[in-house]
Amino acid sequence: MSKNIVADLTAWVRTAAGLSMTIAVIVAIAATIHTGPYLLVNTIVTGGMLALVATGLTLMLGVLNIPMFAHGEYFMIGSLTAYYIFTPISEFILEHPDSWLVTFGPFIAILGALIGGAIAGAISEKLVFGPLRRRSTDNWVMNSFLLTVGLSVLLVNLHQLIFGADFKGIVGYWQGMPISIAGAYISLDRALAFIISAVIVALFYLFMTYTRTGMAIRAVSQDITGAEIVGIDIEKIVLLTISLACALAAVSGGSLLFMIPSYPSVGLEPLYMAWFVVILSGLGNILGAVVGAFMVALLKVITVEYVGAGWDFVVPSALIMLILIFKPSGIFGSDVRGVLDK
Amino acid sequence: MLLEVKNLNAGYGYLQILRDVSLQIDKGEYVGIVGPNGAGKSTTMKTIAGLISPMSGSVVFNGEDITGLSGSAVAKKGISFVSEEMNLFVNMTVQENLYMGAYTIKEKHLKNERLDFVFELFPRLAERKKQLAGTMSGGERKMLAIGRGMMSNPSLMLVDEPSFGLAPQLTTSVFASLEVLIKNGMTILVVEQNVTKTLAVTDRGYVLENGKVGLEGNSADLAEDSYVRKVFLGV
Repeated sequence: MSKNIVADLTAWVRTAAGLSMTIAVIVAIAATIHTGPYLLVNTIVTGGMLALVATGLTLMLGVLNIPMFAHGEYFMIGSLTAYYIFTPISEFILEHPDSWLVTFGPFIAILGALIGGAIAGAISEKLVFGPLRRRSTDNWVMNSFLLTVGLSVLLVNLHQLIFGADFKGIVGYWQGMPISIAGAYISLDRALAFIISAVIVALFYLFMTYTRTGMAIRAVSQDITGAEIVGIDIEKIVLLTISLACALAAVSGGSLLFMIPSYPSVGLEPLYMAWFVVILSGLGNILGAVVGAFMVALLKVITVEYVGAGWDFVVPSALIMLILIFKPSGIFGSDVRGVLDK
Repeated sequence: MLLEVKNLNAGYGYLQILRDVSLQIDKGEYVGIVGPNGAGKSTTMKTIAGLISPMSGSVVFNGEDITGLSGSAVAKKGISFVSEEMNLFVNMTVQENLYMGAYTIKEKHLKNERLDFVFELFPRLAERKKQLAGTMSGGERKMLAIGRGMMSNPSLMLVDEPSFGLAPQLTTSVFASLEVLIKNGMTILVVEQNVTKTLAVTDRGYVLENGKVGLEGNSADLAEDSYVRKVFLGV
């Protein structure tokens, strides 16, 4: 029995997914021992947030076949919403330091970001993607890609026009002593940001696996005609998927506001990082995207630590090129049908 | 009259396939549409199922006009379509596929009742309920597609090319399962290229040629018809 487990484990380690995950874990442990646990903390916080953006991107790609290049702008919408909700709350807290808002105010701001993202996503479907789909689905991937690029430019410039180009940031969400774990001090904001992302990713996974609506979304992604003939309302599922995907990006933007202030093009970095994740883990693979997010985060943190802060895009980009050349289906993509093959 | 199709004209884009197709099906009937490749058999099915919107004509189901409704709306009215390509959810298990077939049923216990019924009908599916649909053989997939079509407790089943891509003995078993459904009181409209087989099992038949209904009548009479025998059976 135990021999079987060992054999299975070695077989798994030798697959592309197993190999890269094993290497990632070893690198993470080695770097943590060498430089200190803060590196691991950074990886986990960045990875958790990246997982939210990347699962949204995967959803758009896997269910709707839209290569979304405006996803970062929903991150921006999330951080902007959270900023405008939290600024009055923090002023109120300054005057009333004993109010319940000290604890729950940030949650209101982050929830606001989530709702803002969902609404923005629904509006984009109604005004942009829906009309294109009804007009023609010929050459859909290319057309929708161009549309998302245009949407991105529009949203960035709308932000600049209405709210200005300056940084809109906050000092922090939660005051209080940093938590100390194994000699590393983690600020409350970081710890809670990670917990929020972990809870949302878990809820999202359960939603997709067990609920009637989640299964309908998966059904649409696997066979849209099949979904239609069993009575799934495609238009409704598409609307829901887009607002869900955008809400995931927005909640990430909202809960990272203490680290990354909101400004017009703030979404570019999370967008590129999320695309690295999606290419690394295989298009349309949701669980793979979560694992991939932590791997890309690790790569970024290690690069900043050992190579230099200016290199954090160069190394992941080089890796993506290698993956596209040698394993275009992504490291977890072997047993999943490519979405764009349909 | 369960289903009445009147003067249906339909096609893809500017290409018109069906020309004034009319057909009727009563409750409990087993009706076949036969005809050569490209006659418009599948197009007729897809138009009734709501996957293609007709250019003109009407489809009346249970006394209700369902012309031009979307596929999901037609499914909710109680018509279940088993397509030629089967359109299974390949990365879901057999059981998940069947549950998706009962998507229009909200009550959990009703879904489970349907599931038990389908498993009783196709014990093979019960054995493989944890297997991914994409890893099953052609005959098993066909059974799964028919089983999924049964899950919504439809009043009419449209079955497109049940023998498509199957070995002869599998074809026989798929037809046998349709026979069982008919005995249970189901109404079935089946489209087939296998003319002999279809006319042997169905009550009534329509012969479709170049998008038009050429002949219609009792299947036994059609099988004896000299034109059908000459063109389709080669005797």
